Amino acid sequence: MSSLDRTLLTHLAGLSRIELDPSHEEKLLRNLQDILVHFEELNGIDTALVLPMTGGTLRENVLREDTPHVLPLGDFENLRRVFPEEQDGYLSVPNVLPKQP
Amino acid sequence: MDVTNLTITAFQEGLRAKRFSAEEAVRAFFDFIETKDKEIGAFVRLTKDRALSRAKKVDVDFSEGRPLHSLAGVPLAIKDNILIEGEVASAGSRMLQYHRAQYDATVTRRLTNQDAVFLGVTNMDEFAMGSSTESSAFQTTKNPRDLERVPGGSSGGSAAAVGAHMALGALGSDTGGSIRQPAAFCGVVGLKPTYGAVSRHGLIAMASSLDQIGPFAKTVEDVAILFEAIRGFDLYDATSVETSQESTFPIDASRTPEFSIGLPREYFSGSMDPAVERALQKAIDVFRAKGITIKEVSLPHTKYAVSCYYIIMPAEVSSNLARFDGLRYGAAPDAIPSTLSLLARYLHNRGAGFGDEVKRRILLGTFVLSSGYYDAYYAKAQKVRRLITDDFARVFEDVDMLLTPVTPTLPFRIGEKINDPLSMYLSDIFTIPTNLAGLPALSLPVRGIEGLPVGFQLIGKPFREADILRCGAWYEHVA
Repeated sequence: MSSLDRTLLTHLAGLSRIELDPSHEEKLLRNLQDILVHFEELNGIDTALVLPMTGGTLRENVLREDTPHVLPLGDFENLRRVFPEEQDGYLSVPNVLPKQP
Repeated sequence: MDVTNLTITAFQEGLRAKRFSAEEAVRAFFDFIETKDKEIGAFVRLTKDRALSRAKKVDVDFSEGRPLHSLAGVPLAIKDNILIEGEVASAGSRMLQYHRAQYDATVTRRLTNQDAVFLGVTNMDEFAMGSSTESSAFQTTKNPRDLERVPGGSSGGSAAAVGAHMALGALGSDTGGSIRQPAAFCGVVGLKPTYGAVSRHGLIAMASSLDQIGPFAKTVEDVAILFEAIRGFDLYDATSVETSQESTFPIDASRTPEFSIGLPREYFSGSMDPAVERALQKAIDVFRAKGITIKEVSLPHTKYAVSCYYIIMPAEVSSNLARFDGLRYGAAPDAIPSTLSLLARYLHNRGAGFGDEVKRRILLGTFVLSSGYYDAYYAKAQKVRRLITDDFARVFEDVDMLLTPVTPTLPFRIGEKINDPLSMYLSDIFTIPTNLAGLPALSLPVRGIEGLPVGFQLIGKPFREADILRCGAWYEHVA
């Protein structure tokens, strides 16, 4: 098992889309390292022939009738009001395209 | 009549005997909450208009001769991560402080169908991540039994509301002990149902293979009443199960149960505070004295449960919380220039919107799932989870249920563990295995002890809530 360094922490923060506060980074790194050291106890168990448990239920392929089903989510006006930004009746979303040079 | 000191059962009797109206009772609760909650801080939001409207409807139905539903007028509190249509559901986080639920959770819909009254929404650790309710973005909740101590977490607000008589019952959620531990710390009863027994539709997800919604109340019988109202298959939750198990209510608490109880030696290996150990022995002695079969059993992989859980749970957290970007589910916590790139907005919104514990767990989860580490951590933990689950299956061939401690310590002081996350995680050792195995577990107070409350846990076979509820109710009757 591996320990965590600052480079890896920065990489993980990028993957997680979380901007870290530099003044908290040292403490965060230490906490995570302590936790990972604790995980090393799992090295002592032989799990070579053990099937992983991939979820909380034994249910599989839970299906419903293939018929249209209207979800009772309330009317569109309620949903529209939840949206953070709108302009002139349009829902405003951030630009997802990079700026052209 | 002081309605706040009633149980759900006594409230139902009083309402039907016209000793009070539903509206009178609900107003009495709000009057009490107005003063009491200033010192406890259990509620983050009250839903007074909704509550009084429901109470008035119950009174009109009753006066016009219509039969009352089972929970008619019963004042309940709901954890802040369970959706009530039209109400803010923030999961204790700034990230969702403006998020208003667009639909009812299945459990709140089922309670509403029984005409239950929701007094308000209770405080919790942010996104259910914590064991003390201290990581809430909004306020600190105090333990009603000692205001300098934590109520436990993450459902600390719900447990404190019931423990302080500000509600007759409450809903919480339990992923690693977040109903059972606060129930033990606040001296009330809490049930974590079998995984799949209660729909998770409308629960803001933390770790989807571990989360379960469950009830708090002052007595086991009241918990059984609430569980009956919320359990069962739900079309909107593919992991929910309809079982043919017998109804858990009513309970004949006077009949000595014919169960055998196992005591896992790994849970009694000297890792508890002496006060907790003495209290547990007192509870065990009650069962022994009445002739209940008690056997020592072994769950050899118990010691790996914390590591296993704190790999699997953060992995699922990192996935479930990826949706929260400050652009959906209500506005971002801080306004930033919209001229920034999308990536910059994500980074800022998630950095500002999540608290330290949430960020820690997302990063941990991202680490254990990432390339180069997946096999050593996540895949390994999934296998260890199988071993822990198999341990329970094996002992349940020999006994009907297990009796264990809920926590290794008494309720700790506010601020004592908040800067030591590993210490906080290790305090979940007795509750986590049950979540990993998906089993039902009931936390109830040890009777006849002085000082701070201590809870003990009855862990049942899958979908055998009726067994642990019956056993718990009998203990309350004889102890």
